[in-house]
Amino acid sequence: MIHLKNVSKWYDSFQVLDNCSTSVSKGEVVVVCGPSGSGKSTLIKAVNGLEPVQKGEITVDGMVVSDKKTNLNHLRARIGMVFQNFELFPHMSVLENVKLGQIKVLGRADDASEVKAKALLDRVGLADHANKFPSQLSGGQQQRVAIARGLAMDPIAMLFDEPTSALDPEMINDVLDVMVELAHDGMTMMVVTHEMGFAKKVADRVVFMDEGKIVEDAKKDDFFGSPRSDRAQLFLSKILSH
Amino acid sequence: MQYNWDWGILFRDPYIWWLVDGLKWTLMIAMCAWVLAFVLGSALGIMRTSINPYLRLIGTTYVEIFRNIPLLVQLFLWYFVFPELLPEEAGRWVKREMPLPGFTTTVWALGLYTASRVCEQVRSGIDAIGIGQRNAGRAIGLSEAKVYIHVLLPNAYRIIIAPLTSEFLTIFKNSSLALTIGVIELTSMTRQIEEYTFQGFEAFTAATIIYSLVTFTVMGFMLHLEKRLHVPGRIVVEK
Repeated sequence: MIHLKNVSKWYDSFQVLDNCSTSVSKGEVVVVCGPSGSGKSTLIKAVNGLEPVQKGEITVDGMVVSDKKTNLNHLRARIGMVFQNFELFPHMSVLENVKLGQIKVLGRADDASEVKAKALLDRVGLADHANKFPSQLSGGQQQRVAIARGLAMDPIAMLFDEPTSALDPEMINDVLDVMVELAHDGMTMMVVTHEMGFAKKVADRVVFMDEGKIVEDAKKDDFFGSPRSDRAQLFLSKILSH
Repeated sequence: MQYNWDWGILFRDPYIWWLVDGLKWTLMIAMCAWVLAFVLGSALGIMRTSINPYLRLIGTTYVEIFRNIPLLVQLFLWYFVFPELLPEEAGRWVKREMPLPGFTTTVWALGLYTASRVCEQVRSGIDAIGIGQRNAGRAIGLSEAKVYIHVLLPNAYRIIIAPLTSEFLTIFKNSSLALTIGVIELTSMTRQIEEYTFQGFEAFTAATIIYSLVTFTVMGFMLHLEKRLHVPGRIVVEK
């Protein structure tokens, strides 16, 4: 469903993505990990065109992201995205956050959007908080609202950019539980994360990046069993030791 | 100093009506110029934060020109120089034949100048929100225009209510420059009272109080607005 072919990107002369190729099939969960600064976030943001790339080709469900003729808004409406810092719209209630895209992008009726929004909030365990504002919620709750906001668009795939990195440890599991459930429901997911527990539980494949390159792209068991590259072994030994 | 105080002068016909009339023109200049400054300034602020480099350039150029020339010079340029640059017919119309030439010129000069300042405030408000919100709006498929309408502007205006209040108060006070091109607004009327009655202290005291009353009213209204638009759960400084 998502294909990246020889994707490269530069900030001025600094190369952030170096000839990256990978893919995510329908229903597959792919975890992208690697040290900070390795280009993970840039890679995932390239998938829905938030970060333009200079070389290579990215296609999502047959649409070419890097093609100027592609209607990016249309494409983005079909891919949910969850950010590290939640990025809920602060001036709207939780319910309005989940309704906005449905009404303004999909053209859904107000009452239908509300029914959908409430059902999704219920699904992420926040039905009681529908009328609160984002800053009245904890980080973990905000992130679950953000997931509901993405799901409200009936996406064909979900992108997660370090969804738990800004959370207190005790909040992390609430968010991961929602994500695990999503994965079990067959959602196509690309997840940038350091949560190796999550990767072990639900990932089909793990992509390991370093210095803008995809160093390792392996089935989960192969990756955790015996990563082929020294860099991935070093990374795993560091983050799995605690 | 020999000075015959006569505070009663302020409440006597016709002087009280001069003050009322002057206040009316001051308020009209300020409001009309503010509408122009707010609409144009917001549009320019949006342009300066746009992804389109040409729009950004237009916004920046406007700000650099209008912010860097003293307001009084701009007023004189519009009033004395601009009509001369037009074809004769049009120039005469601007100078004399259009309705209320002095008032109209002041409104445009003040509005265009203040728009450059409003632009910078709108821009800083939008910048303060950050790229994350913009991306979040884009990620659910909102077009650039809708990202501004539904996400960036509602938050930007909330952030800049306080500086925008200052800007409105400034436009109100700057309207007194209109007297230099013969508009009979509050300051001008005050001087006229002094010239007719020699009660300058009383006249300017009255003007000071009237200006202050208006600014206090505006501040009260804006404070009320700020509270009404306050987003629950966000930290505010108690006033």
